[in-house]
Amino acid sequence: MRTLIFLASIFVVALGMPAARAHAFLDHATPAGGSTVAAPPQELSLSFTQNLEPSFSTVEVTGPSGDRIDQGKPQISGNTMRVGLKASGPGTYHVHWHALSVDTHTTQGSFAFHVGGQ
Amino acid sequence: MNDPLFYARAIHFAASIMVAGVVFFIVFVAEPAFRHTKDDARVAVAVRIRLAWIAWIGLIVALASGVPWLVIVAESMSGQPLGALTSQGILWTVLTQTDFGNDWLLRLVLACALGGLFVHFLSVKGVTSLGLKAVTAVLAAALVGSLAWAGHAIGGQGVEGFVHPAADVLHLIAAAAWAGALVPLAVLLTMTGPHAAGLAAARTATQRFSTLGIVSVAALLLTGTVNAWYLVGSVSALTGTDYGRLLLVKLTLFAGMVGIAAFNWSRLTPRLLQNADATGAQRAWRQLRRNAAIEAAMGALVICIVATLGILPPASHVHEHGRPGAIPADASFQHIHTENGMADVTVEPGHVGVAGVTIHLWDAEENALDAQQLTLTLAPPTAGGNPITRPAVQDSDGLWHVDGIELSQPGNWMVTIDAVLGPGKRLTLAAPIVIDAK
Repeated sequence: MRTLIFLASIFVVALGMPAARAHAFLDHATPAGGSTVAAPPQELSLSFTQNLEPSFSTVEVTGPSGDRIDQGKPQISGNTMRVGLKASGPGTYHVHWHALSVDTHTTQGSFAFHVGGQ
Repeated sequence: MNDPLFYARAIHFAASIMVAGVVFFIVFVAEPAFRHTKDDARVAVAVRIRLAWIAWIGLIVALASGVPWLVIVAESMSGQPLGALTSQGILWTVLTQTDFGNDWLLRLVLACALGGLFVHFLSVKGVTSLGLKAVTAVLAAALVGSLAWAGHAIGGQGVEGFVHPAADVLHLIAAAAWAGALVPLAVLLTMTGPHAAGLAAARTATQRFSTLGIVSVAALLLTGTVNAWYLVGSVSALTGTDYGRLLLVKLTLFAGMVGIAAFNWSRLTPRLLQNADATGAQRAWRQLRRNAAIEAAMGALVICIVATLGILPPASHVHEHGRPGAIPADASFQHIHTENGMADVTVEPGHVGVAGVTIHLWDAEENALDAQQLTLTLAPPTAGGNPITRPAVQDSDGLWHVDGIELSQPGNWMVTIDAVLGPGKRLTLAAPIVIDAK
């Protein structure tokens, strides 16, 4: 019984410690959401908090004209998703990502970044 | 629960735990107990027949429930309807190119291999081969332990990527060794009967099951703590989220099961072992049999909760979803995530007309972010349209609100949050948010 009480107390103490994250949420992006970069990027890189399933994870990027400028299927390795971008001008770029984490849960999100001081 | 995924998971988990539980019970409890009852082989045969039925039914149900589970998960992964899963090769893609699919195939092979071994392992004559017992127990442990790859435990980064799945595998095996073996224990106690010859087997079985139970409960507590640390993370998340509250119900049931097990171990088992007091031993036998059935029923409830927990977003990062359960059905929601801070923006109702906006600010460490002042700008989808800029008001919970915003047209609006964090310190977040037509 003492052993069980000891183990139960470990449970309570552990909950007071900072937790790690699970699920595939966007951890950081390059270019970052809300940031302004001087020149149009040639690639968008997204890092997530969990490993992704390449077959069902996608990203769409639209340029200032509203046209899609991503070069199709992203390259996915572990928790990182990369996609090449076609040349486009200054303005606001919109990113919409859809991630399937390896624990079978889907997440999605959007953000924008700016090119050329807008 | 209207979600078919809940039923598929609950039935599959229960069946897999039952199969592994029967195997562990036969190897570690029943066969050693029957060595003490050579004078009454009929009891051993009767128990073996019933355990074989439970194991075979469990295996068939595990195989049968695996199919709808795969289909439902494939639909969820791909976002495609049922008809497209085979016609577009989605099912094959899921099976061959995802961790869940690979795990499903592995478990199919394990279940088929166990079926082959069961032909000899579940013989009415009993299993004597040490090799057969070892291989069957290992495959049964793999069948139930590999369920970890179909849940929240996988996909973590760094140390979590190893520690969390390992803890979950052990958690599942320990659950099978204890909760999964309760029904076989109840069966054995029922079949042995209160007469002297049967009580000998009941005594040995109860003693051995107590040892198995103590080891399993200790493993469940340790590995459960690791799981809770990764998936709940804080006491506030334990009480403030659906996941946390459901986990508390599971822990309460678990504590009840441990309480009954402790009573069995400290009070009933010693009485059962007293050869001198036959009446006391028979009464203890009846209580043990009843308690095993009660514990098994509580274990079934725990499995139903586990099936639900696997569907819910873990409490440790519910806020990253913007608490999906709390988002009204007619609201538009956007989570804006940058390296300097994050915002959950809810527009309600999320269609053309007059709406209210609620903003929840977070810092990069996922703590609530204090701001001195916050301004919301909503720019309409049409180029040249006039943006709406309004100051937000903070409520007592720390949420920022802007009411009475006139959303004139549907489409992709651009929402911008400008927060004053301190002297010369600002946080600006921007993202599109979809506003529907009325």
